[in-house]
Amino acid sequence: MKFLVVDDSATMRRIVINSLQRIGFNDTVEAGDGQEAVDRFDPSVSFVITDWNMPNMSGLDLARALRARADGANVPILMVTTRSVREDIIAAIEAGVNNYIVKPFTPQVLKEKIDTVLSAVGAA
Amino acid sequence: MMATRVAKELLYDSEASLRLVDTALAELRTQNGPDDAGADVNAGLAGLPALLLRAYTEINGALQTLRQSRTALEHTAVEKLHLTSAKLKEVSSATELAATDILDGLDRAIAMVDELESAEAEGDTGRSGEVRQTMRDELFGLMGHLQFQDITTQQLNYASSILTEMENRLMQIARIFDPSLFGLEVPNTASDQPAVAFDPAATTHDAETRQALVDQIFG
Repeated sequence: MKFLVVDDSATMRRIVINSLQRIGFNDTVEAGDGQEAVDRFDPSVSFVITDWNMPNMSGLDLARALRARADGANVPILMVTTRSVREDIIAAIEAGVNNYIVKPFTPQVLKEKIDTVLSAVGAA
Repeated sequence: MMATRVAKELLYDSEASLRLVDTALAELRTQNGPDDAGADVNAGLAGLPALLLRAYTEINGALQTLRQSRTALEHTAVEKLHLTSAKLKEVSSATELAATDILDGLDRAIAMVDELESAEAEGDTGRSGEVRQTMRDELFGLMGHLQFQDITTQQLNYASSILTEMENRLMQIARIFDPSLFGLEVPNTASDQPAVAFDPAATTHDAETRQALVDQIFG
């Protein structure tokens, strides 16, 4: 299973990728903002983990852009962000995000959310 | 937003008042200038009190609007600067907390190395395997503490955006007073800032409570 990890913070990308490797997901590709993620996305990507606040294109716009593509309409998207007010969470759901993690997070929470999303889409 | 609008209106009023003062003073100069040396001095002097009174009234009006501008700007600036100050304090506290957590974790990891050596010296392979696994978890946990870097970067970007906004406002005020008269130049825009995206409310606090709200909404 290939993960696309999107965050403008290189530290955060590294933390997420290390956490993924620790739970057995070693195939990862990374992007520094939403636009780069759109460019790097292809049908081989089976899970997207994205930050919200990024220059050029936000995680929210990335989710909308992927949902508008035939090859991205069903890809699981997990938002990992500092934003945590009700309106933001609802906006993320409306944009097509499958689940949501508040930063700072623990690796356990990341694993739980990935499992939840994969179960929901029937890929677990 | 409201304070910004009031401040802008006051600034326009101040500018209009200052222009009226300028017009009144120009009239005064014209009536009493060197070209009028041969004119009727008595007529000029008779009109002087009225002109001075008008100039006084205009200056008084301008000062009043300037005072109001200052109050509005002060209110906005103080509020924004308090927010900036609070953000910077949070950055300091988050950095210290993360550093302490990382140091604690390293202390525990060092103690585990000692324990591992002791277990291996005794040939206790079961215990050494357990310690190795615990140490791996401990070191991995340390990585999570480094998330503070992303969050504090967002807090610093927010503080920086407020300072840029204040810089722009001060430049707007400076331009009203025509600094070129004093040989000063005011740039048209504030110092260039690279494009950054940040959450103004980014915090390292209460992650569990905030995650609980997310979970509740996602069901």
